[in-house]
Amino acid sequence: MLEPVSVGLKFAFLAVLYLFLLWVSRSALKDLRRGAFGGDGRSVDPRPAEHSADATGMHPASSLDVLSPDGDISPRLVVESVPGLQRGMAYDIGDGATLGRGDVEIQLEDPFASSRHASLTRQGGMLVIEDLGSTNGTYLNDELLRGPRPLHAGDLVRIGDSTFSYDDR
Amino acid sequence: MTARNRELFALIPASLLVTAGFTAVFIQRNDLLSDLSLTYGLIFLCLCLAAHVVLRFTLPHADPYLFPLVAVLACFGLVMLYRLDEDFAREQAQWFVAGLIVFAATILALRKDHRVLERYRYSIALAGILLLLLPRLFAPVNGAYLSVDLGVITFQPAELAKIAIVIFLASYLRDTRQVLVVGARRIAGITFPPLKHLGPLLAVWGTAMVLLFVIQDLGSSLMFFGAFLALVYVATNRISFVLIGVGLFALGARVLYAIRPTIENRVDAWLHPFNDTLYQQQAGGSYQIAQSVFSQADGGLFGQGFGQATIQLGDNPPILPAAHTDAIYAVITNELGLLGACAVLLVYLLIIERGFKTAMLATDSFSKLLATGLTAVLALQVFVIVGGVTKLIPLTGVTLPFISYGGSSIVANFILLALLLLVSDRARREAQAR
Repeated sequence: MLEPVSVGLKFAFLAVLYLFLLWVSRSALKDLRRGAFGGDGRSVDPRPAEHSADATGMHPASSLDVLSPDGDISPRLVVESVPGLQRGMAYDIGDGATLGRGDVEIQLEDPFASSRHASLTRQGGMLVIEDLGSTNGTYLNDELLRGPRPLHAGDLVRIGDSTFSYDDR
Repeated sequence: MTARNRELFALIPASLLVTAGFTAVFIQRNDLLSDLSLTYGLIFLCLCLAAHVVLRFTLPHADPYLFPLVAVLACFGLVMLYRLDEDFAREQAQWFVAGLIVFAATILALRKDHRVLERYRYSIALAGILLLLLPRLFAPVNGAYLSVDLGVITFQPAELAKIAIVIFLASYLRDTRQVLVVGARRIAGITFPPLKHLGPLLAVWGTAMVLLFVIQDLGSSLMFFGAFLALVYVATNRISFVLIGVGLFALGARVLYAIRPTIENRVDAWLHPFNDTLYQQQAGGSYQIAQSVFSQADGGLFGQGFGQATIQLGDNPPILPAAHTDAIYAVITNELGLLGACAVLLVYLLIIERGFKTAMLATDSFSKLLATGLTAVLALQVFVIVGGVTKLIPLTGVTLPFISYGGSSIVANFILLALLLLVSDRARREAQAR
């Protein structure tokens, strides 16, 4: 009978298994001690207080660049390079505006722009940009815009050859 | 130690486990020691080493623990299946090799940037939904439309569909998550998504509800819907969206329970497994649940030992039905006891921990959401089947990932692992560069 061998093997199996698990979890624990975000041994800068409640590690979608409700902060589109306009000029957007070649708030002398190209609308505390089905598309930070996206200070909006930067100070 | 050397080191215990497990089964079966178990251990080690070499050259920074943990699970599967039936183990081993090949192919195809998947999101979503609808063309198994019987092989499309749906949701929510939150209205203390963007969200909820009625299987619907809610929560940080979703799911489940007798049977079998009529009932009774609970209790703290569980006596109906698929967790508990079962659950927990850790390290939203979704869907699958076998929730027929017998399950879960490692490689490389 090899009964004792069989029992011994079972416990050896369990022992190897648990030692392995102990080793993996010890390394996992080390990772956690280093801070939730850094995998490199350095802790990442503490995030602003309102972000720290966000346990998921995503930029909390709810607290991004909320404009103050009394309106002393004005959202603006600053001209970076637009045919026929000087760099540094700015459009005050207020509660929203439409960009395009036609009869809209922000008129573009750009052959690649559609007549009603993109819209800026104020939703809650922030400005949202959305392409209005233009022929050549709108680019936000060099990425083709698909669906509505909120704007953050410093974002680059490009339509055809025209580039604007968004600012809310 | 670099990440890859850690991985290499961790593969040694995994192959030791294969050797020890097979030796124990041989002894039990033939009362003899055979060096064949060493051969099996070596073959297993070689296969893992081959995958390790692929990882070493393509994803040098990827998480070092995920692959060895999965190897340990696969080892459990092979040993237990060999102990149940040699044919199962041989086929499982072939599927394991096929899974590793698909694993390597996925990594090689997407190693530059896994985010190309975003471009094909609607095709991927469509493929996922078609895969889920496919079993409707075939006869239901135990009242659920989950598998496709092609004569030669039986195929579970839901296994692949779960990955497709997670990819789609991750890419869709990346685009819409901020807008979902910004326009939200608070009504009676509950935050509702803006009406304009509620449409797509409702469409996904609706699809999940339709799927529930198409598959007629609560367990796999719970898996899909749970992963969706996990993604919505991570994307928006709003618990109210999750609560609305859970409410809708509960409502759908209640309606299905009322109109489908098979679901009602399952719930009854779950509530009263030891009821005499249900226990004796031929189809749709509680025999399987009751037997699996008995065999787990029989395992005790340390288990009966490899090859000791009583699965079948003579030509009688099996004592533990579906021991190689649904109830494999019960067999493990019987033979290795509470200690062994806890170890299996710990392996899953560690995989899930590594998955969420990967999601936290990832810098772009799509990768974050993808890692979260893949981890959540795996976690829920383990919960659904282990919960079913231990009589926590009604038993449904999903597989225990990497352990249960089943080709589509093995292959699909290796794709899932490949995607997690791809995300992890990029995230950890960027974290090191910072």
